[in-house]
Amino acid sequence: MSYKPDEGALIAYLYGELDGAAREKVERYLAGSEDARRELEALKAVRDVMGLVRDKEVIAPPLVIDNRTRFLNFSSPVLRTALAIAASLVLLMVVGKLTGVQVTASGNELKLTFGTPRPAQETPSLDVMDVQSIVDARLASNNAALQEEWKKSQEAFNANVRESLEKNSSQIDRLVTKAAAASEEQISAYVSTLQAENLRMIKDYYKMTSEDQKEQLEQLLVDFAKYLQQQREDDLLILQARLNDLQQNTDMYRQETEQILASIISNASVPVIRN
Amino acid sequence: MHAETLQDIAMMHSDALLERAAQGDQKAQGKLVQLWYKRIYNFGFKFFLDHDLAMEVAQKTFISMCRNLPSLQDLGKFKAWLYKIAMNYCREEARRKQNSRSTPFDRVWNLESEQSPRWETSASRIDDPDRQYQRNEIADILHTALMAINEDQRAVVIMKEYEGLKFREIAEVLNISENTVKSRMYYGLESLKRILEKKNINKDTINYEL
Repeated sequence: MSYKPDEGALIAYLYGELDGAAREKVERYLAGSEDARRELEALKAVRDVMGLVRDKEVIAPPLVIDNRTRFLNFSSPVLRTALAIAASLVLLMVVGKLTGVQVTASGNELKLTFGTPRPAQETPSLDVMDVQSIVDARLASNNAALQEEWKKSQEAFNANVRESLEKNSSQIDRLVTKAAAASEEQISAYVSTLQAENLRMIKDYYKMTSEDQKEQLEQLLVDFAKYLQQQREDDLLILQARLNDLQQNTDMYRQETEQILASIISNASVPVIRN
Repeated sequence: MHAETLQDIAMMHSDALLERAAQGDQKAQGKLVQLWYKRIYNFGFKFFLDHDLAMEVAQKTFISMCRNLPSLQDLGKFKAWLYKIAMNYCREEARRKQNSRSTPFDRVWNLESEQSPRWETSASRIDDPDRQYQRNEIADILHTALMAINEDQRAVVIMKEYEGLKFREIAEVLNISENTVKSRMYYGLESLKRILEKKNINKDTINYEL
């Protein structure tokens, strides 16, 4: 039992598309192989599950199909190109007719003319020497003209430079002299104004400070007088208090002595003498 | 394809209609569009998970179908032929989507279109709205899983699983060998299996939720 069906045969069997002999072969193989049977079962299960997908219902929209056989199919690219070429040729011909284009080819010559052709004007031909002389003459005249031009511009330039130099130097001179003349009187004026200003400022300052000082001095004197007065009053008070004290003391002493004297007098009648 | 509705049966027996359409009968072409529109739209929708792109692809596919049907030689291959056109437009749109990093303004902020009901779609007729909601939620998860797998595999899975094409037909659509188609299908299913396992979704959990 060496037969083993390939995937193709197995699938064909699964979908019932094997004919008699081949089918029997696969069936016999399946009968002998548990694994193969299980694999086929698994595939069948997948089929069953996937078979659950239903068709979507859909209504065919109207199809508009122009089915007439056309003699010319304008959408074909070959025909389109050919038509384009033909159209451009026709256009060229019409334009040619309107503008009267004539194309003539004779010998080495190709002529493209609009309208009636006019005979070309014969020009006298020149030989090499003529050309050379013309060129030389032109060159010489050009050179001369250039030189002259150059010289002229040089002169103009020089004149310009000189003029502007002169103008500049005179201007500077004028400025310098003006500055020199102006400076002396201006400085003295300036200095005098400065001095005056300073003077005024210092005067003001002195006035102000002297007033302040006077005021302060007066205040000081008043304060000092007040102080002295206060001191004297205080001293007087102290003096009075001392005097009062003294008075009291003397009074006390007098009383004491009077008492002592009285006791002495009373004791004198007694024979015992204290002292 | 499983014949579930009258439309499916009509699609499977549309040879006469096809013939008339191929001869240039506009009425027959219109009917053909009506028959197949839902299929192609859903193919595009599953491929992009985007209504607008699906509509775009379907529109272009049917315009192309009507133009080129007369030149289709074997009418028996109509189905594969139609999907081939759709597939090509899908790839074109995918490329365009990849190339343009910008998002069109009306998709960023088009309140009007968000609020207005989309006239093209209508919810399928299921009685219980709650059940319908859950089903939608699961459908969203499964859609996301589908979007997570490789684009080539996704195309094959959609065509096989949802559109019911034969492997031979898919090979024709994609212009590759039948074996390649089968192997893409196999690996597509494997990837889906892994994604579903990671999200812990299997038949039992879904049945439980329903």
